[in-house]
Amino acid sequence: MALEILDPTAEQTAVERPLAPGMPAGARIALLDIRKPRGDVFLDTVEATLVERGFSVERTAKPTFTKPAPPDLRSEIAERCDAVIEALAD
Amino acid sequence: MAPELLVLVKHDCPVCDQVLPVFDDARAGGAPVRILSQSSAPDTAEQARRLGLGEVPALDEDLEASVRYDPDAVPAVLLLDGGAERGRVEGLDRARLSALAAQVGTTLDVSGLPEHRPGCASKARDPEVAARLAARAARRDGRIRSRVLTVGVLEDVHEALHERGLTDGLPVVPPTPERVVAMLAHSSRSPQDLVGSVPPYDGEATVEKVAINAVMAGCPAEALPVVLAAVEAACRPEFALHGLIATTHPAGPTVIVSGPHADRIGMNAGGNSLGQGNRANLTIGRALQLVVRNVGGSRPGVEDRAAHGQMGKVGSCFAERLDGMPWAPLGVARGVDAGDTAVVLVATEAPRLVIDQLAREPEALAASFALALRSIAHPKLVLAMDGLLLVGPEHGRVFAAAGWDRERLCEELFERTKAPAGELARGAGGSAEGIDPKWVSDPAMPVQKFAAADRILLAYAGGDAGLFSMVFGTWVAGEVGSTPVHARVEDWL
Amino acid sequence: MSCGLHDVLAFERAGRPAVLVASDVFVQAAADQAVRLGAPGARRVFVAHPIQDRSDEEMRALAVGVVDELVTALSRPLT
Repeated sequence: MALEILDPTAEQTAVERPLAPGMPAGARIALLDIRKPRGDVFLDTVEATLVERGFSVERTAKPTFTKPAPPDLRSEIAERCDAVIEALAD
Repeated sequence: MAPELLVLVKHDCPVCDQVLPVFDDARAGGAPVRILSQSSAPDTAEQARRLGLGEVPALDEDLEASVRYDPDAVPAVLLLDGGAERGRVEGLDRARLSALAAQVGTTLDVSGLPEHRPGCASKARDPEVAARLAARAARRDGRIRSRVLTVGVLEDVHEALHERGLTDGLPVVPPTPERVVAMLAHSSRSPQDLVGSVPPYDGEATVEKVAINAVMAGCPAEALPVVLAAVEAACRPEFALHGLIATTHPAGPTVIVSGPHADRIGMNAGGNSLGQGNRANLTIGRALQLVVRNVGGSRPGVEDRAAHGQMGKVGSCFAERLDGMPWAPLGVARGVDAGDTAVVLVATEAPRLVIDQLAREPEALAASFALALRSIAHPKLVLAMDGLLLVGPEHGRVFAAAGWDRERLCEELFERTKAPAGELARGAGGSAEGIDPKWVSDPAMPVQKFAAADRILLAYAGGDAGLFSMVFGTWVAGEVGSTPVHARVEDWL
Repeated sequence: MSCGLHDVLAFERAGRPAVLVASDVFVQAAADQAVRLGAPGARRVFVAHPIQDRSDEEMRALAVGVVDELVTALSRPLT
């Protein structure tokens, strides 16, 4: 006789999430540092290179890489910028 | 609805064998008699054939009537009027059966029957049957809502659970509805109450889901409220469970049960309490980690990136030893009433031993503890981690005799874990790790290991003999990492 | 990496394309997580592991090497 057991998982079937449209030309890009070591050096160069190419860039950081970014910070970034580069996870 | 006699019988009961033909005859003669069998269709048919009954009795589906009228024994004859019971006879009593039948204008032919015979136990009282019925009832009334997984008849249930990715690598107890319902009986909370949202995928841990994983972990049912409190605490944002799961660091949640409830559920706060042997200690921590895996969705190597991990990530849980404690319990220190029980969670590495077999004075013993605490993560790394010091009874006596309370000892440890900045600088002692030299203006300046005195947590447990205590280093602590949290068992009883 | 992917999807939900930069040890894990989160197309760009002991020169070279990819990833329209 087949054994019935109860599903121990959260039974999530994640609905496929749509992504945002691509960034416009001349967009303002937020460089979000997750604050792991060496990430700032990486982002310095990304910043300089993007500026050469005509993007405006804003540097910002989240308090810790160990948690998702605080909602307030996310809202601020979304309000001021058109796109985000988050770096550097290792 | 006219009054009737409802006759409950089963196939493996000699007394039922004796009364069945009598009621079958009465029914055939037009009396308002309804016979229901507690047995299966084949068994009922076989009994009817054996007894030469005119009609095979109908089945008491799901033992519904048996549960509703709940006789101790069968045969049970109930006088029902519009469904309401007006009288009953359990077992065989010739005179009383005749009297009962007379109330519906029926004369029974009881001439061949003995005067009195006790019946046999009603099938609804069989523990296995009772469990099955309870599980079905729980599903019907919405207390149980989880999807049912079926393990095929040709599958080994343990292999199946492992292959479905539902285990931590060790076998689990299959969470049948009966076992989960029995577990749920130990909390008065609704099974659909939300305990917490579990990272990394924000799975909703309801009381039911926690109970399922607690069954799998092998928890004694009375431990459920402790597991619920642990899950509640673990899901608090300040504990930073998401980061703790994802880190390459080996830390995992350590569950400390501090208060009188630990003993009530048989936890071990004495010898080998961090080791094997005690079911509650081993399974409470394990249940939490199974919730993280199954409800949260964290899998080693995918979401869980620990470079080495450690055995505490299978489960890490102990109880504080309340007798002989030199200071107030950890739960009380955190604001919980002494009569209640706190479940305190700390993100820790595996414990390390501190031996001191010579110290007679509290300062000397604190000095040994400080040396061990300094080595958390790396002796030259400061301010990043907290410490959990589990003081053993033979060490605790030294502080109790000197009248040192928790604050006194923590202050002492905080001071003694300071070191000169020069020793902690990168490159000092030939070690590349340490403080960036640009912060070292004066090499003699003392630098604290811990962010504050109260970032050294003290717990108390262990066996009577052994001049040992244990140090647990933590994961990254404070605002940027994990902060110890607690919840109350009483909220989940 | 996992917290970063959550952030990236939160920005996407707010209408801002976002890309996560991670070391290439996370290629498979990021793909798995993105699927689990219901966004298999979540934008991500990888740089060669290891990171921690790289010199400043090396870090700068890594950055120059991926800027094109970053711009392309962020410019990608919704499919």
